[in-house]
Amino acid sequence: MAVATRLTAMQEKKLQNYFGGKRFTLLYKASVHEFSGSNCLKRCCGQGPTLMVIYGGCYVWGAYIRENYKRDDTVPVVLFAFQENEISECDVGAHSPSFFLYEYSVSCSNSLWFLLNLREKKATVSLDTAKKLGLPQDQPISLEECEVFRCEDLLDKRTMKGITQLHERLLHDMKTYSPYGGLVHQIRILLLGPTGAGKSSFFNSVKSVFRGHVTHQALVGSDTTGVSDKVCPFKVTQPLLLCSIRFGFNSTKPITPVHSNYIDNPLLKDRIHCVALVFDINSVEHLSRDMMAKIKKIRRELIKCGVAHVVLLTHVDSMDLISRGDLGDIYKCMLVKPKLETVHRELGFALSDILVVSNYTSEWELDPVKDVLILSALGQMLWASYFLNKIQKSLIPKEIENSTILKSVTFLILIFIFLNL
Amino acid sequence: MAVATRLTWSEQKSLEKMLGNVSLRLLYKSSVHERDIRSMNEKCTRQGPTVTIIYVGNFVLGVFMLGDHPEEHNNFKTVNPSFYFSFQKNAITAMKTAVLETETKINSGQLVCYSSGQEVFSVHPGESSFSVDDSLRNTLGTYLRSGSKYSECEVFHVDGIEDDINYISKITGATKHRDSLLVELGTYKPCVDFVSEIRILLLGPIGSGKSSFINSVKSVFQGRLTRQARVGSDVTSITEQYRIYPIKDGRHGKYLPFRLCDSMGLHEKEGVGLCMEDIPYILKGCMPDRYQLNPSRPITLSHPNFIASPSLKDRIHCVAYVLDINSINDLSSKMVAKFQQIQKEVLSYDTACVLLLTKATNCGEFLQGNFSNMDKPMTFQSRIMDASKMLNIPIYNTFVAENYTSEWELDPIKDTQILFVLRQMLRVAEDFFEDLP
Repeated sequence: MAVATRLTAMQEKKLQNYFGGKRFTLLYKASVHEFSGSNCLKRCCGQGPTLMVIYGGCYVWGAYIRENYKRDDTVPVVLFAFQENEISECDVGAHSPSFFLYEYSVSCSNSLWFLLNLREKKATVSLDTAKKLGLPQDQPISLEECEVFRCEDLLDKRTMKGITQLHERLLHDMKTYSPYGGLVHQIRILLLGPTGAGKSSFFNSVKSVFRGHVTHQALVGSDTTGVSDKVCPFKVTQPLLLCSIRFGFNSTKPITPVHSNYIDNPLLKDRIHCVALVFDINSVEHLSRDMMAKIKKIRRELIKCGVAHVVLLTHVDSMDLISRGDLGDIYKCMLVKPKLETVHRELGFALSDILVVSNYTSEWELDPVKDVLILSALGQMLWASYFLNKIQKSLIPKEIENSTILKSVTFLILIFIFLNL
Repeated sequence: MAVATRLTWSEQKSLEKMLGNVSLRLLYKSSVHERDIRSMNEKCTRQGPTVTIIYVGNFVLGVFMLGDHPEEHNNFKTVNPSFYFSFQKNAITAMKTAVLETETKINSGQLVCYSSGQEVFSVHPGESSFSVDDSLRNTLGTYLRSGSKYSECEVFHVDGIEDDINYISKITGATKHRDSLLVELGTYKPCVDFVSEIRILLLGPIGSGKSSFINSVKSVFQGRLTRQARVGSDVTSITEQYRIYPIKDGRHGKYLPFRLCDSMGLHEKEGVGLCMEDIPYILKGCMPDRYQLNPSRPITLSHPNFIASPSLKDRIHCVAYVLDINSINDLSSKMVAKFQQIQKEVLSYDTACVLLLTKATNCGEFLQGNFSNMDKPMTFQSRIMDASKMLNIPIYNTFVAENYTSEWELDPIKDTQILFVLRQMLRVAEDFFEDLP
């Protein structure tokens, strides 16, 4: 039988958050490793803080021991239980795990006792505790399964050290990046997305990461009319240019050839190299049919023009139950994966083209965990555009090159026009 | 002391990625838990696949075992396919690996791994020592003598491996086979010297996986996932240009002597999808690379890049019909009629043809043990028969493959399939040359 937990993703995340942003490692599972107190103790002592989860009928409850213990140590124990998807706890004072796992009868007068008889699949707690936790008053409580996890901080020293090193390396690589080996000295990335998706915030975040402190050059806001009203090219660093457009259901003036800055026959260096479709991760599953049709249309045009494109999902830190600790390994997070699958399925993007970030909105200080996400996303955009454009540049004959480039600018005009619905 | 691994965060991430995007969870650490086989056993048995790592100074040696950690009271060896790796701390990118079909057993306080009856690796927690046999030592690039002491031993539980007892043997067998196919195809030369490049044309309904196949082939040869050809699913074809893709071996290696030609998808309606009249031009080799296909009008002689007198090397030497294996029975009669018409055309040019069925999930199941032949699973048998009958292509020229669509990493089983199919296509194309007058 597989050594996997019975907890649902939500339950596990709630427990992880409740006990202070932890990661769980399953050490003992009664149905696999035998319902025996001694086996349980052998596997779980000396493993640091542990969380014991007991499953009995519809009840999910257990004990959290926040200190390391050896066989006969006495440690503070906190009992907890899920009551209608929320966790309630009850401090039962200090106990010795070898006591509550081995002793089968209550002989002490401590009113906060707790016994776990694995062999007979029964657990007993005092009536007061049972009331507090919503457990059946009818003792002993029967159980079907018992699991014990080690609890580790999500962002412990080791992880932070690793993330900081990765951050430095990514920043260095990005700053010394030379697009196409010098053929083009500025990569242009276009950010497209509904109002409030976080395009200007992303630009600010990227700029902040490169600056070394939080900056807010682009105006941001969640006004329904959208704050960015025109195509705003924002220079980030020498090799990078981010342009932001918002789209929605409001009209905008289309760019016309008489506009003073319109470039007539753009070369490779003037065209857009990569487009990032920006969406708020919380609402990406609820896009209207119209919006989805629009996105698919945009995607076809991009493919025709040969422009690389990715999806950028923002505001991941505002997702329910997601904490800073999860940002360290966000793509593997059980609450984020379904969103990636949805975008992959509904919009047809490859999973490796769906990027997740958390923009800087109200912070004053930079956070390497967020920086790593932002830099990795940026790196993926550069990689996507580099590969595609490199091949086209080297193989494309002159006449065809100009026509496809002209197409890409024409397409920008098209965006404005067909958005005037 | 905290129960935390000696691996750095990035080393752990690299290791997790290498094992297939798994998660490693520490179960036992010799410096914290007791240094004897019993403590190790108490914590590590019956946990599923594990990774056991020993640290000797700056050197790290590890073994991934697919089966359970051996138990002390078992008096017999248990089969345990394993995968050995070693690296210097801070140089994990230069990791050396070895794959062995081993058996494991606990023997007088030691964890011992045997391969073909010989002891290849053992760990003695009680004495904090280990031993490695000579050939494994050479493969792993360590000079450390047997009986050397290690400073730390850690055992991790591996989370995220498919629950398949044949998993690692398939992976290891597939890796070996893929590598040998890569070498074979890397040194491939067409058997006839008047053609320097074999051209394979992919034809098929919209969304059947032609461009994905090309991307997959490129990815396997590049050693990483690439997506040069635009792919996606839509009502009309994503591919709109006729493309002749070269394949490069390795990141900066040379170009291989074959090209894959991609076209617009076929649609049952006239005026949608690839124009039927374009096909003869493609087969003859008159259509230039990057020609913008028009569903309603075929290419004409007046096109600036039209190749008026194509030579043998411009022609298509092998046509691969690409069909989605899941929708073979849903093809409309009009589509089938179109196919049969195309097939007649192809045969009139004496071009060889094969049938490639894509989107077959769990292809790993039908790679036979020694990977020399692709066996066809029962679930697909009937569909394969139907497809091969419909197009009149013999069963031995019908192949099944799964393209790379949304993965993060390459998978040796898929790679082997894709390379196998490519090799067969080349062999069939060579037969075509044999047939020429």
